[in-house]
Amino acid sequence: MKFATASSLIFSCALALAAGSAARAADPEVVISSTGGAFAKALQENFYEPFTAATKIKVVRVDTELPAQFARLQAELKTGSSAFDIITAGPADLIEKRDLLQPIDCAKLPNLAKEGIEGACTGWGIIRTLGGMVVTFNKEAFPKEKPSKWADFWDVKTFPGPRGLPDTGDREWWVPTMALLADGVPADKLFPLDLDRAYKKLDQLKPHVAVWYKSNDQAQQALRKGDVVLAMVVSGRAVGVMKEGHPIDLNWNQSIRDVGLWAVAKGTRHPEAAMKFLDFFLGGAKAHLAFANVVNYDTGNRSSLELVPEAERSRRIAYPENLKSQIVPDYKWVAENRDKLRERWNEWLLK
Amino acid sequence: MGTVHHRPDIAADSPRDLSRLVGLLLILPAVALIASLFVGPVITFLLRSFEGDASPFEQYTRLFGSDIYLRVLIRTLVISFLVTLTCLVLGYPVAWLLSRLRGWKLALLALFVLLPLWTSVLVRTYAWTVLLQRNGIVNSVLTGLGLTDAPLRLLYTDGAVVIAMAHVLLPFLILPLWGSLRQIPPEFRSAALVLGASEFSIFRRITAPLSAAGVGAGCLFVFLISLGFFVTPALVGGPRSMMIGTLVSQQALDALNWPFAAALSAVITAVVLMAMPFCRRLFLVTRAEG
Repeated sequence: MKFATASSLIFSCALALAAGSAARAADPEVVISSTGGAFAKALQENFYEPFTAATKIKVVRVDTELPAQFARLQAELKTGSSAFDIITAGPADLIEKRDLLQPIDCAKLPNLAKEGIEGACTGWGIIRTLGGMVVTFNKEAFPKEKPSKWADFWDVKTFPGPRGLPDTGDREWWVPTMALLADGVPADKLFPLDLDRAYKKLDQLKPHVAVWYKSNDQAQQALRKGDVVLAMVVSGRAVGVMKEGHPIDLNWNQSIRDVGLWAVAKGTRHPEAAMKFLDFFLGGAKAHLAFANVVNYDTGNRSSLELVPEAERSRRIAYPENLKSQIVPDYKWVAENRDKLRERWNEWLLK
Repeated sequence: MGTVHHRPDIAADSPRDLSRLVGLLLILPAVALIASLFVGPVITFLLRSFEGDASPFEQYTRLFGSDIYLRVLIRTLVISFLVTLTCLVLGYPVAWLLSRLRGWKLALLALFVLLPLWTSVLVRTYAWTVLLQRNGIVNSVLTGLGLTDAPLRLLYTDGAVVIAMAHVLLPFLILPLWGSLRQIPPEFRSAALVLGASEFSIFRRITAPLSAAGVGAGCLFVFLISLGFFVTPALVGGPRSMMIGTLVSQQALDALNWPFAAALSAVITAVVLMAMPFCRRLFLVTRAEG
């Protein structure tokens, strides 16, 4: 208990400092946690500042790493109240970490029906960013035939060269999923994952994997430097390297869905302001377009897609032709089997 | 590691009692601070390892029931040992040189030793990834000189982990060792030379035994800090370079399973506590023989 109290105390102090002022409790505000860097800056410019201008509700921006965010939230809830109002979560988190979250009444978000894509509100979160784990490759390494499916990772004759796979994020189900797709399992028969079959297939690939990247920055660096010529990378980061002018390309075929959501923290001190922000976030097509251009993911806003110029559509996952072969995992199964999946992954990696 | 064989005679005379009392009072704030903000929370956290749905030993049953955790524990010990050995081989000559230098030369060399301590571990580790990557500086030099035909695989290996960790931890070995080497009176060396001893025998019979306590302290520092490392193995190591710290952070942050994270921490803490008296004995024996 002492640990939790002390750390939440320290964290609250840090939070007060980060906010830059000791805001009076009476001031309307909403505390939003997301990953930092260019991503948080794009959120700030396109959503937080316009939201404050429109509603007079101040947004306190907290930049975190996602695992640290949940650890803090858990520690704070042990002492009663949480400093966060809105947090960032993955689809499986919404199930697995439900006791840290507050349900969202989708009916109270008018912009959802007006501008949201289908399934933009799940009752526990709303879609913030939409992307996928995609086949990413170096165009110069494969001048003739281009890799277009996960099975091509195993075809070292047609596509020679070092491969890169994630050892970060949700790799404990991403990687077995791509292995099963490569082994010919149909998309609708993937879940529950046959882990024995997946790891047997992965045994063959292991010697050709030069980089097991631990962060998305590392994956981008390996692609730029040619340390890998074929990799599984999250689409926003792959598009990012393409935009820099490197000879990198991606294929949307068999992309594995990767969604970021906003969720409301349990014990939020500003529930009304949080709901107002979520509704505000669902609207505003132009803001979504500007945001998507910076972060290279699509969002849960339907109308912004129509504003994208024809030439850029090949880089946007939300387009029907790019989205049609996307694999949508059984998040419930993933959430329920997370421990088993993680243990199996560690065990295999150590072999 | 300094062991006091001859205790100061604590007689019953009052001034001495008073100074002892003052001494105790003076260390009280530091002890209170460490006890309340460090020891207390650590013990509270370790006690959580006995939380479980079925039995208080649930976490430990899981830990010892699968061989991943023991394998990672052994790997952690082996890597930490190799890092300590590398630091000793690289650090001893530097510490010896430091103990011989005076004036601005000493200041300059000491600065070189201390400088890395002022740079973040993350920055130093990233520097190693730049040096060791496939198209990095080391490989360019090797292929440029015609020593290798194709780039060697240097990054993402256990070797990279050992080198990068040794670089980060080197000052922790050099500083205590320098302290103990500096205390060897220079007259010993002069006397030995007068008596016709060779440099090797001076090292073997004077310098080595008299610096054993420093070696012990330095090695223990490096070894213990190595055991908890996870940033460096994560960045420059291969998929198999997993250390117990990686697993603890995985459980504490990704899985939010604090009881299991506590059980893993408890096991490594137990290993350290068991290793300490052994290390002490090892170096005391060396010292006594000298």
